[in-house]
Amino acid sequence: MVRNEEYKKTGEKNKDLFTTAFKTTIPVLLGYIPLGMAFGFLLDGAGYHWIYAFIMSLFVYAGSGQFLAVALLSAGAGLTEFAIATLLLNFRHAFYGLSLLEKFSGIGKIKPYLIFALTDETYALLTTTDVPQGSSKSKFYFYIAALDHSYWIAGSVLGAVLGSVLDLNIEGMSFVLTALFVVLTIEQYFSSETRFPFIAAVGAGALSLILFSSDNMLLASIVLGTLILIGREKSMQKTQRKQNTQEYRKH
Amino acid sequence: MLNALQMFITIAVIALVTFTTRALPFIFFRSKEPPAMLAVIEKNLPPMILLLLVIYCLKDVQWLTAPYGIPELFTICVVAGLHFWKRNAMLSIFTGTALYMVLVQFNVFSFL
Repeated sequence: MVRNEEYKKTGEKNKDLFTTAFKTTIPVLLGYIPLGMAFGFLLDGAGYHWIYAFIMSLFVYAGSGQFLAVALLSAGAGLTEFAIATLLLNFRHAFYGLSLLEKFSGIGKIKPYLIFALTDETYALLTTTDVPQGSSKSKFYFYIAALDHSYWIAGSVLGAVLGSVLDLNIEGMSFVLTALFVVLTIEQYFSSETRFPFIAAVGAGALSLILFSSDNMLLASIVLGTLILIGREKSMQKTQRKQNTQEYRKH
Repeated sequence: MLNALQMFITIAVIALVTFTTRALPFIFFRSKEPPAMLAVIEKNLPPMILLLLVIYCLKDVQWLTAPYGIPELFTICVVAGLHFWKRNAMLSIFTGTALYMVLVQFNVFSFL
């Protein structure tokens, strides 16, 4: 009997955790449906069956990467071009993992899936959302990642199937992702003790917008920003060491 | 047009490359201890990347022709202002998105 009760309790707790995760991902739902639809619509327009939209969204799961794939398909690109272009476009994701090594350690069997599902939006949610107290981190992260993934799949299939029939005016709806990033940036601003990452972002972002094409600016700005962060840390360590030696000489 | 087999191979290549980019740091730092500098990166990368993603969302705005990116900047200011004031994520995000959709669909800044 007691065991049954306990089962019930964990079941309810899981439901709560799922609901919390769902609420967290609502902006991504509203952003991924129109974006996914746009992708499905384009792939359908290139003459491909909706099943390919489904397979691509299930196994590739990279927004801008899939848009690029449609463009390359239409251009009749070769396999090497697909590989290199995708690598360059998605290389920024390597930096995401770099800041999640600690967070993902000891996460269990679900880790490979969490790494696979690391899109811009899921990264943003995972780095800014606190796991509810007393809940399992791996379950909560899995819910967020899998929900986002399912929205993307649903959107792209919906777009490929209905895109050409429906005439919805969803112009501007993808701004929901911009708004989400703005809100999450402000939350980071409240919770981080140092202001320097924001200064680095503005500098690196502005410079990349000027120097690089809009397709390359994100990767370029992340590399540039990371170099700025490292450079500052190095120079701070140097002044620290200098101060230490001066102190030492005084004594 | 690619046939089914070519399409499957192409998708497999794209999927593999994408997964590799995401898995790279986890593969690379599995066996050896990450350098001390990485702790600094770990802490400072998320806030930097989030702000860069905001800037990235504005990458295709035409700043030099009407309406000069004003719908985007105006809406971002509303979202940020609302969020600093109420700190309710849903409220900030949905008010902003609805406002932006009205601004672009009715071409509110067409007088510029």
